[in-house]
Order: sequence, then structure tokens, then C-alpha cells
Amino acid sequence: MRESTIEARVNRSSGRPAAADLPGGYAGKILRVDLARGRSWSEPWSPEQMRSYLGGAGLGAKILWDEVPAPVTWDHPDNRLILATGPLAGLPVWGTGGLSVVTRGAMTNGATSTQANGFFGACLKYSGYDAIVIQGQAPRWVYLYIQDDTVEIRDAAFLAGKDTWQTQDALQERLGFSGHQMSVYSIGPAGENLVRFAAIAGDYGHVASKNGCGAVMGKKRLKAVAIVRGTGVLRVADPQGLLQAADEIAYDLQTNPTAKSLYEYGTLWGVLNLYGQGALPIKNYTTNVAPEGTDLAAWEAPSLRQGFDHRGHQCNACGMHHCHMQVIPTGPHRGEIVDEPEYEGWAGAGWAIGATDPVAVSWLNTQVDRAGVDVNEFGWLVGWVMECQEKGYLTAEQLHGLRLRWGDVEAAARLLTMINHRQGFGDILAEGVKRAAEAVGGPAASCAIYTAKGASPRGHDHRARWEEMLDTATSSTGTLETGPPVHPTEFGMPARINPFDPEAVARNVGGHLGRRHFEDSLGACIFTTRTRMENLCRALSAATGWEYPKEEAMRFGRRTAALLRAFDLRCGLGPELERPSPRYGSTPVDGPAQGQAVEPHWERMLEVWYAVVGYDRKTGRPTRETLRALGLQFLIPALWGD
Amino acid sequence: MSEVRSAIRNPQSEILHVTVEAVAWVTQFVGGDGTRRRIFAEAVPPGATVRSVLLGLCARFPALRQALWDRTGNDLAEHIEVLVNDAVLGLTHSLESPVREGDRITLLGQYTGG
Repeated sequence: MRESTIEARVNRSSGRPAAADLPGGYAGKILRVDLARGRSWSEPWSPEQMRSYLGGAGLGAKILWDEVPAPVTWDHPDNRLILATGPLAGLPVWGTGGLSVVTRGAMTNGATSTQANGFFGACLKYSGYDAIVIQGQAPRWVYLYIQDDTVEIRDAAFLAGKDTWQTQDALQERLGFSGHQMSVYSIGPAGENLVRFAAIAGDYGHVASKNGCGAVMGKKRLKAVAIVRGTGVLRVADPQGLLQAADEIAYDLQTNPTAKSLYEYGTLWGVLNLYGQGALPIKNYTTNVAPEGTDLAAWEAPSLRQGFDHRGHQCNACGMHHCHMQVIPTGPHRGEIVDEPEYEGWAGAGWAIGATDPVAVSWLNTQVDRAGVDVNEFGWLVGWVMECQEKGYLTAEQLHGLRLRWGDVEAAARLLTMINHRQGFGDILAEGVKRAAEAVGGPAASCAIYTAKGASPRGHDHRARWEEMLDTATSSTGTLETGPPVHPTEFGMPARINPFDPEAVARNVGGHLGRRHFEDSLGACIFTTRTRMENLCRALSAATGWEYPKEEAMRFGRRTAALLRAFDLRCGLGPELERPSPRYGSTPVDGPAQGQAVEPHWERMLEVWYAVVGYDRKTGRPTRETLRALGLQFLIPALWGD
Repeated sequence: MSEVRSAIRNPQSEILHVTVEAVAWVTQFVGGDGTRRRIFAEAVPPGATVRSVLLGLCARFPALRQALWDRTGNDLAEHIEVLVNDAVLGLTHSLESPVREGDRITLLGQYTGG
């Protein structure tokens, strides 16, 4: 028997369900917006659906499967742009302003699940909604305004051409809200011009960046979503239990040796830690050794933070010393305010393009965020252009006189402008490095870093992190799907493995599949969920009133992964595309991972991974047994024809 | 030839010299402030292994023992990456591998996300 879709099961009447009928932590409604018809309405969803799909990535995956059939490509008006939060958003648990963007994305033309934090999730919940599902294409540029029961699709002509920070500034000024009174997520010029790796950025420095979700928003002519912090109250089942769980999480983050570095410095330690392992991408994967004269001490976390006048820029209810704003201290941009880069920014706007001056990299990273593009893809793209120019595969004439040398952030910023506005060769580059390399062809094509599916690898050198290469290549989210293990021994997995042991790598990636889907469905940040699953489940149980064990959390996560995979298969993204590009899968020529070749082991890693996750190696489909075990029987007819 | 004989007879020459290097954030577990590097020149007897060298350092720095090992005390926990001569454990060395004169053991903070 097929499971009913969310669309079919909801009560069409709008209005808030009785609080007593709902699990705690939920607002209880999904906001629907049809931009083509200029209308919006809300739908309640049932407690059973909440338990099955939680929110965020889980809810989004189900809606995507139900409502976006194969002919509805990423740029089709009927594609859905789902902005979902989860049951912990808006509650007093660290980092719970979470937003999950789920859609059919532009890079892979398949499933996307990408997250950002800030205040969006909390503001949305306080306004009475657990998610927004956007469909249709507006006849002109619009923005969505939400304040409690007021939902309006408004003209956005005055925002045209503005970057994501300018957009937030303009909306704050026009609407009279500032600071944390209103959350704004928007697209910049890149999204407006359908740059394929455009992102959705908000609350000054938070970015849902993967798989071209900003291009989807641009195609819908939706410039921004502005949510005034609502006046609603969230009920929780066990307030004291929730506070105890929140305390446990905070304590764990402050004392666990790994999480403690995040608590103190966010991801700033990433540069040196990864450099020591040969996993810092330098100059488009051409080396793993820092350029001569690089001051590595300047890349220590305290130096990166103290080298700037800085202020905390915490997300909703967060006590981490993670997000910060900085002031550029020296150089041509002295005095400009920027957001302290995440590790990914230091890599994508820095090392990947040969830039090793933290001040210059910090400035460029914010230009990328403001323009609204994915900093990972930006790094691979600009690094590729720089290498191709150095080797004579691309000429300055092709780039309209622009000459890009390693580390030249000013030239990289000019290239960013060309890309954002699709000027000249920027029009080709706006398609991302995979398609640009295929268009240029010749030896240039072999220098590009991408997956065959089209997803951008994260900003690490995965040739020293085979787990992440396998994860990225097999992913159905448009980015890492499993991510680095968190408390691996909690589920009987080894605390550490030899990162170049192909079987151990594949068992690890497959064995952890599902945890991140669960995290991404809670409405919380991936950095504050770096605690034991039992703590997260305790918080979820206290909020909702459910008994929610960690085993259910993993099963939920695997259900979500299987749904997203089914969606990708329906979109034509099969196992034949699960491989790295030649450069991405090449062998490091120097550094700590020198000579470690992944290519001879690739097929074996896939075999082991498929066996562990319970998918069919030949077709890529979750097996019937897996689907039954996950409670996804309704997918069997669609995937297996019986 | 005489030098070799001298070396065999001299107990001092049987001591192996191994460097343990705590990098940046890991230095806070060995008396540092979480920056730069702390380098320890360890003199160990023949037959010493990567494990025994690390245990020797942990005996002097209990905070490192807590961060480096799991609850059993037998296996490494997930928090700190151990490299020998720039190679992660598993490539050229395991915990039980004998160390050689001049080996360099590096303790790096684990990668924590992007």
C-alpha cells in the first residue's frame, strides 16, 4: 500500500492546530507560496508526519519526492524551493536558528540539501511555520515578507542588482527592523543571473551554498525572504528536561577535546590541521606544500582571530565562540567590515587559488558571500583559471585582458564580477568548473576539480581524505552527505581508521550514513550538533514528548538518505556518475599524502559502500529489503516496478 | 669498526632519540597555550614503539592522556591525529611499530568541519 503524500493528507484549512494536539517544538503549519499566482496559504501537518519526517532535510526530501517529478528540472517553474527548519529551532538549545534548503539544484539537476544558520529558523517558527514551500515563477522580481499571520509577496524592483548584504540593509531600512528582529535570506547578483553555483545567503555571513540553490531562487524571481521575528510561543513537552539536555550539549561542546576547538575558534584550526595531513588544497590540487615564504604561524586560529578587530556574531541561542565579524586592518580595503571566514572560505578564497595572506583572503571571502556564490566552487573555478593561464591553456585575451596569477585576490574579485554578471568568458565560467572545462576542452579539461554528478567537492584536498571523496561522489544531496564522523564509537564504529585503507574508508562512510540527515532535520547547526547522539535525542524527546532513541535517529537519517537517492535516480543520476574528475581523483605529488593513489581502489570502495548502506551496486537503488527495513515500502513500486 | 664496537658497548649509544611535536591546538594538552608548537626530545630505549613513546609523554601530561586515548586506554580516541614522519598511522607505522633514531611523531588536532 502506498503511503499517502503530505499533500494529500493535510487538512486544507488554514489556521493554527490546537497546541495540545501537536508534539512540542513544532509550530504546526507549513507555509505554501505560489509565486506564479501570487498567493500563499498554510497547511497543518500531522503528528505522524512530524515523527516520520521531523523537519529540515527529512521533510524537504519527502516533499521533493512527492511534488517534483522527473520532467520538472531545476529551472522549471514547478520545482519546489523548500526552506525548512526543525523541532529544535527557536528553543533554548545552542545554534538553533537553523535553515535547511531542499530543492532540485542547478549543479547536479538533482536533490539538494544544504544548511545555514543565523536566525531564520527561529523567526520562522515564532511566526507559526515549520517550513516554507515555494513553487512557481513570479512575473517580476519579488520578495516574500512574513510577520506572524501576515504573508505578502512584494515587489522587489528596488532590490535588483544588490548583493546579499545590501539587500538585507535595504530591507531593514525599508521595513524598520534591525539586528535580530528580522532574518533576511536573499540571492545576490549571481542568483539573479542564474549563475549555476549561486547560493542563498542571509543574516550577514550565513550561506546555504550547495548545488546552485540560489539559481533556483533566481529562476523563481524571488530576490529575498524577510521574516520578522514572530510573536508566537513554542510549547515544549518537558521544559526542564529540555534545559537539562541543552546543558549537556553545551557542556559536551565545551569539554570534548575535538568540539572544544570548535567552541573556542569555530573552524579556524582547519587550515593547519588539514595542512599537516596533506588535506589542505593548494593551487588547484597542484601541490600540498605551502608556497615558499608563507608564514604558517599567521594561520593559527588565535592569529586569524586576533589579527583583526573582531566581534562575536552568534546565531540564535548560541554560546559558541564561532561566528565573528571582522574589520580589515590593512591594505586597499582597510576599514571594511567582513565576516570571519569559515575554514571553507580560507580554503576556497585562499589556499585553493594560492592566496596565503589572511587579510586578503578574508576580504575576498566576504565578496563571494555578498555576491552569493558557493565559495567551494569559486575556489575550484578560479584555481582552474589560474592554472590554465599559467600553463597557457587559457589566454588573457579569452578573459578580456584579465590575467590571473596565483594568489591575486583583486583579479579574482574582478573575475567574480564577470561571473556574476555573465560578462564575456564569465558567461562560460558561470556554469561552474565542470561545464566550463568541458566547453574549453583540451588539456584544460584535465585540470578541473568536480564530481561526475556535477557537485562541488568541499574545500579540502580529498586525495588525503578518501572518506570525503567517496562521500561526495556517492552523495544525493549535492554536497557531502555523511560528513566526518562525530563520536563514532557511539554506534560501535572505530574511533579512527587508516584514511588510505579503502575498505575501512568505505565501511566508515557507509556506516555513518544518516547521522547528518538527522542533524539537518532538527533546525540546529552542524557545529552545535557535534555532540553525542544521545544528547540530541534527549533534547528532541524533551521538546516533542516522544521517546526518541538514537537508533530511531539513525534509521530516520537513512530513510531520508534513501528518499533523496530515489529522487536522484528518478532524475537520471545513477551510479555511473559516482566518480571523481581526473584531477579530483589524481595522486598527490608532494606533502604528507604523496603517492597515495585512490584510483586503483575506487571500484572496491564503491562495492563495500554499497553493501554497507544496502543499495544495489548495479542500479544504485536501495534494495527492497533496505526499503522495507526503513519503512519506505511506498518507494518499491517506483524504484523496482513491483 | 672501532666506532661500531664502541657503540655496542656504550649503553648511552643504545638510547634512541625521537621527537614528539604537539602542533597548535594540541599544545594545550602538554603545557602550552594552544598555539605554535611544543617539541619534546624523547630519549627511549631500543625496542620502544610509537605507543610507548606516546605513553611516556602522557605520563608527564595527564591532559594529553585524556585527550589522546579512548576510555579503555588501549586505543586512540578520535580527537588527535598521530603522524610518524609526516605519515598518518597506518601507512608506515602502527602504534606497535618500533621507533628508529630520529623519528618524528606529530600530534595534530583532528579536523572538525568546514
